[in-house]
Amino acid sequence: MVAKLKTYWYYWIKSSELTLVSLVATRLSSILFITGKFARFFLYIIFLLVLKDKIQLVAGYSIDQLITFFLIFNLFDLLGQFLYRGIYWFRSEIISGNFDYRLLKPISPLFQIMTKHTDFLDLPLLVLVITFLVKRFPQVSPIELLHFGILSLASLIILTSLHIVIASIGVMTTEVDHTMWIFRDLSEMAKVPIDIYVEFIRTFLTYIVPIAVIFTFPAKSLYGLIPSPTIFIALAISLTVYFLSFKFWHFSLTKYSSASS
Amino acid sequence: MKKYWQITKTSWSNGFVYRLNFIMWRVRTIIWFFTIYYFWVAILSQNDQVFNYDSQTLLTYVIGTSFLRSLVLSSRSVSAGMEIANGDLNNYLVKPINYLKNWLARDIADKALNLAFFIPEMVIIFLVIKPPFIFPNNPWYFVAFIVAALIATLMYFFFSFLVSCFTFWYPEHNGWPLRFIVFMIIGFLAGDTFPLDIFPAVAQTIFKILPFGYFMFYPMQIYLGRIPANQVGLTIIIMLAWVFILYKISTAVFKKGLKVYGAYGR
Repeated sequence: MVAKLKTYWYYWIKSSELTLVSLVATRLSSILFITGKFARFFLYIIFLLVLKDKIQLVAGYSIDQLITFFLIFNLFDLLGQFLYRGIYWFRSEIISGNFDYRLLKPISPLFQIMTKHTDFLDLPLLVLVITFLVKRFPQVSPIELLHFGILSLASLIILTSLHIVIASIGVMTTEVDHTMWIFRDLSEMAKVPIDIYVEFIRTFLTYIVPIAVIFTFPAKSLYGLIPSPTIFIALAISLTVYFLSFKFWHFSLTKYSSASS
Repeated sequence: MKKYWQITKTSWSNGFVYRLNFIMWRVRTIIWFFTIYYFWVAILSQNDQVFNYDSQTLLTYVIGTSFLRSLVLSSRSVSAGMEIANGDLNNYLVKPINYLKNWLARDIADKALNLAFFIPEMVIIFLVIKPPFIFPNNPWYFVAFIVAALIATLMYFFFSFLVSCFTFWYPEHNGWPLRFIVFMIIGFLAGDTFPLDIFPAVAQTIFKILPFGYFMFYPMQIYLGRIPANQVGLTIIIMLAWVFILYKISTAVFKKGLKVYGAYGR
């Protein structure tokens, strides 16, 4: 088991190192991409600050709280992209049949495709978001910190699971990009607490595509707004989704047609 | 003219070949709409008036910008950058075809396709969520809005083509890095999520100077009757001036770009 973990760790380090080298080689592009990410982040913050001057509450939340929700959204959104950017290149492997080579290697093909492009371009903003969060919450109670920790774990598990589901859909239908972008657009709905949406959308974002568990629950836990049982239910949901996503992945592999190979 | 009409027709048919892609794109636009619409509904549920906008006016603005996004900001000319980067531009240079007009013809088909889907989608959304929506008091405002929307479409087309032209000098990643920045800021500067007049006076002066506000914000201000009748004409003249400026710059940059074009990838 330890030897296997070592192999995976070495594979991830090596592929990340190669990605970093390629990003450094195309410096201007990397700078432009980072600039775009920062621009998007700060423009939204500016918008919220402009609202703060005129508006007290949005769906029962202050604008300061909305900024926290936005920061937490960015935290997990950027983590997902940092770790699993490789999924964006998966379609080309499927339609070219190059995915065959992944299947032949003695390493999980899923691990290979998801981690093949660690996106270091998300790192500067990720560091900034974490710094902002630490500054905003200098004194969180230990119990709230524990709740946040557990919900962050659940969040990362669901994030991983949804990427697995998207990869599986890709294997079965050769469609990855749009599915991924729909997931990203649904995630954008959680820039603000999902409480602002109507019942139907809230239910959809909590139980069907658990965007709320990924982004809204951890933010709420920092304000003590998530009761303890809900935290463990969220963890249970995340483990169930993780288990089901693997089942779906293995099922999808039985449908792989190896087109163009 | 006939050949460009043929390109429009082919491009329209092409949209139906990749049905799944197109349907998923439309799903995305509906998600965007709900994200923005319900955000403002939440704000307006606890505030009768926000930044001199009442509930009806602001939600009409959101619905209107959703229409303008389908018309103005949907553009296939994004792919022009890719053609320049991978050398496919050669295919056009050896043909009796104007590259800019070719993309305009393809854009018209794409916009028509988007609108063909937008209208039934909106009908369903209106039946289900029954949003408050106001029509202009004066029908001339509606006519002026349509004219402004069409001019904005041309403005964005030339602007987008200009962005693609920078690929001549920087073909890396098919010109995507610069396009990425444009995508990140264009919605904000065009006023697609919120009206630009919620910002302080200094920012509004900057928005007035830049062309981006004319993509969505000013056409919607015309629709809502928030621009005095005697200034509507002036706004449209400014927009026409922008069309001219962007046309001149984009064609000049394209010509200059052709001189450095190395047909990489060919």
